[in-house]
Amino acid sequence: MNRIFILTPLIVLFVICIFSLVYLLSGKDPNKPPSALLNKDVPIFESSSLYNAKDIIKTKDIKNKKTLINFFASWCSPCKIEHPLFFEIRKKYPELYLLGFNHKDPPSDAKKYLKDDGNPYDFVGVDSDGLIALEFGVFGLPETYLINEDGKIIYKFMGPITIDILKNEIEPLL
Amino acid sequence: MSSLVGFLSLVFAIGINFYLFLSRYIFKFKKQKFNLFIRLSSLLTLLSFFSLMYAYVVSDFSNYNVFQNSHSNKPLIYKISGTWGNHEGSMLLWLSILSIFSFFFSFTKNIDESFQRLTLIIQSLLHILFGLFIVFTSNPFLVNSILVNEGLGLNPILQDPGLAVHPPILYAGYVGYSIVFSIAIAGLFQNTDDEWLYVAKKWSLISWTFLTGGIALGSYWAYYELGWGGWWFWDPVENISLMPWIAGLALVHSLMMVRGEQAIKKWIVFLSILCFSLSVFGTFLVRSGILTSVHSFAADASRGIFILLIFFIVTGFGFLVFLLKEPKKSNALNLLFINKVSALVINNILMIIATLTILLGTIYPIIIEVLYNKRISVGGPYFNSTVIPIMIPGFLLMSVAPILSWQTNKINNSKKYVLAFIVLSVLVLIQSYFLDFNTWGFVGLLLGFWIILASIIAIFSSYKIKINIKFFKIINPHVAHIGVGIAIIGITCSSIFQNELDFNLNEGDKFIVNGKTVLFEKIETTNEINFQSLRGKFLFDIEKNRSKEIEAGKNYYPVSKMITSEAGILHQWNKDIYFILGDQKNNEWFVKVLINPFVSFIWLGVIIMMYSGLIAVSRR
Repeated sequence: MNRIFILTPLIVLFVICIFSLVYLLSGKDPNKPPSALLNKDVPIFESSSLYNAKDIIKTKDIKNKKTLINFFASWCSPCKIEHPLFFEIRKKYPELYLLGFNHKDPPSDAKKYLKDDGNPYDFVGVDSDGLIALEFGVFGLPETYLINEDGKIIYKFMGPITIDILKNEIEPLL
Repeated sequence: MSSLVGFLSLVFAIGINFYLFLSRYIFKFKKQKFNLFIRLSSLLTLLSFFSLMYAYVVSDFSNYNVFQNSHSNKPLIYKISGTWGNHEGSMLLWLSILSIFSFFFSFTKNIDESFQRLTLIIQSLLHILFGLFIVFTSNPFLVNSILVNEGLGLNPILQDPGLAVHPPILYAGYVGYSIVFSIAIAGLFQNTDDEWLYVAKKWSLISWTFLTGGIALGSYWAYYELGWGGWWFWDPVENISLMPWIAGLALVHSLMMVRGEQAIKKWIVFLSILCFSLSVFGTFLVRSGILTSVHSFAADASRGIFILLIFFIVTGFGFLVFLLKEPKKSNALNLLFINKVSALVINNILMIIATLTILLGTIYPIIIEVLYNKRISVGGPYFNSTVIPIMIPGFLLMSVAPILSWQTNKINNSKKYVLAFIVLSVLVLIQSYFLDFNTWGFVGLLLGFWIILASIIAIFSSYKIKINIKFFKIINPHVAHIGVGIAIIGITCSSIFQNELDFNLNEGDKFIVNGKTVLFEKIETTNEINFQSLRGKFLFDIEKNRSKEIEAGKNYYPVSKMITSEAGILHQWNKDIYFILGDQKNNEWFVKVLINPFVSFIWLGVIIMMYSGLIAVSRR
């Protein structure tokens, strides 16, 4: 009886550790909770082009086409890391509409950045005061959203996307 | 440069601890030399920590950790607190506190030398484990590969004076249990006299007091910063801190009661291992990112697995030693229907059940997700309806426990207590009847007042009243329990009798709160150094000349693009009036006002408990 009492903590320890280990190895990541916006309509936004202030993009302009929205900035180093991947997406999925939101950046810096590293986007919208990011619930740069033809957000990723993320999580949705 | 110094001293400190560990088997050396090495490793660890802090203070963005978590126009205090406002830095803080405890323990006098040395060697082992964890998975001294002249900022919700000091104090509590753990294990190995129990008591009281302070600070921060109007949310991280706190409470009580009974000694060892295990388990749950909460740090799986391994080694080692080296002799406990020992046993059983209940609720979502691949969350309703009822008999008992006898069933002046209890019940019942009656409100108030009243009766009828230090030491257990009673009243009133009022207002509108007219004066926006603030200004009780100004609003932090809510709180001794400024719609501002009665009692109760903890440290 006494022996069992003393063994119990060890048994409990084993059970807890095994469950935790299985959880960790299963690759679940509770740190990336599904966005509150997931499967909801894309927020209403309106933004002018980085290159031509008269050229405006609105929410209804991305209806009826699959759109990948990426929030980026020239000062954001992780954005620089994921940047080349957008050219690959561009090449592989020419149908996909790539919309970049330049977040809180002096226009000159943003233009220089896109000149040096190349511009993969179909449209670069300016989000100088961060209000659009606020509507989308952007937590930190970079952040990427996939919008389907009905204008619903079907995927969200925080942080720089990688080849694995692209292959395993984004491509199945395209 | 500072990063290099920091990293090297961290590695050297781990090296010294390896050397010390091996000294048990290979190199033997004298006590002086041994202690010198322990202290040297502590100083090196601190040097490492302060190097990181220096990098934060001077905004050295060539350090990747500083770049990720700091910004040059942050006020100095938040640059300093930024050191532990992130995963890597806070683990270094954890290690530093571990070595501070070893440092002070090496000065302990009046204990067996080999026992002290064994305790410190176990501390060294812990130092090595956590040190390697930092070096391999959470190195705060990584070099930033990109040349930058500005950092990415600190999570703005952490930019708060209360929260700047919350982690160090909380960690002092968590990590303090490491020394209790080491003492207990060393005690098992050496199985000498009972001297170690007194040493363990002192350190477990210190840890418990720090833990209490840390939890209270975090809770107070949640109260005024999160803007939800409550102070406890059964958030996983709160639960994690509550488990070692309750187990620690059981430990402290057992240590104060032990009189050479083997069964209680065995139990003390068990609790000592449990407290530190729960601390490490909490670290694992938070740092692996398994649970999400306001404390989420960016996490990766390797970190989680490493720290799970540490948890497994530490806890497994502890309980295995417990299994193999358990004290064999056994003399029966002097259990009577109601005496000190039986009260202690009941108290311990209840506390352990409460701890296990919280543990189950906290890890249940993990088990369910592994088994059924469903994400569930266990929250307030579960904990409120399980933990609180479990604790109630304990609360009833604690009012008289300090005056119970060791040998007999008799309670001195028992008639007085019965009479007091009946009168009090009637009074509280009448009071509850005239205010809106609520069962839990009634139970809570009755318990709170009963604990205070019974403790006061006990003080006056059992001791001669004198105003000197010795007297305060004698009545200390009663004082601690009065603190608990006050906190229970505060908890009951603020959670059950909370009143919520919602308004849609224009600037210049007047509205009534708690019978007093309040003027919504204006909305003001200003630019501060590192944030933009939006404030609604309210004048409370404008009919009087001494109207009070309350500001409630939001801060917008451009660097991290986050909005935090800043509640405006008018503190009165018997209630807090809590203003939350919501959003603007159709030119009207949504304003929520919460009236939280007797919140201040919670903090007062906690302060009294901490005071008692400190007094008890000095009492033998």
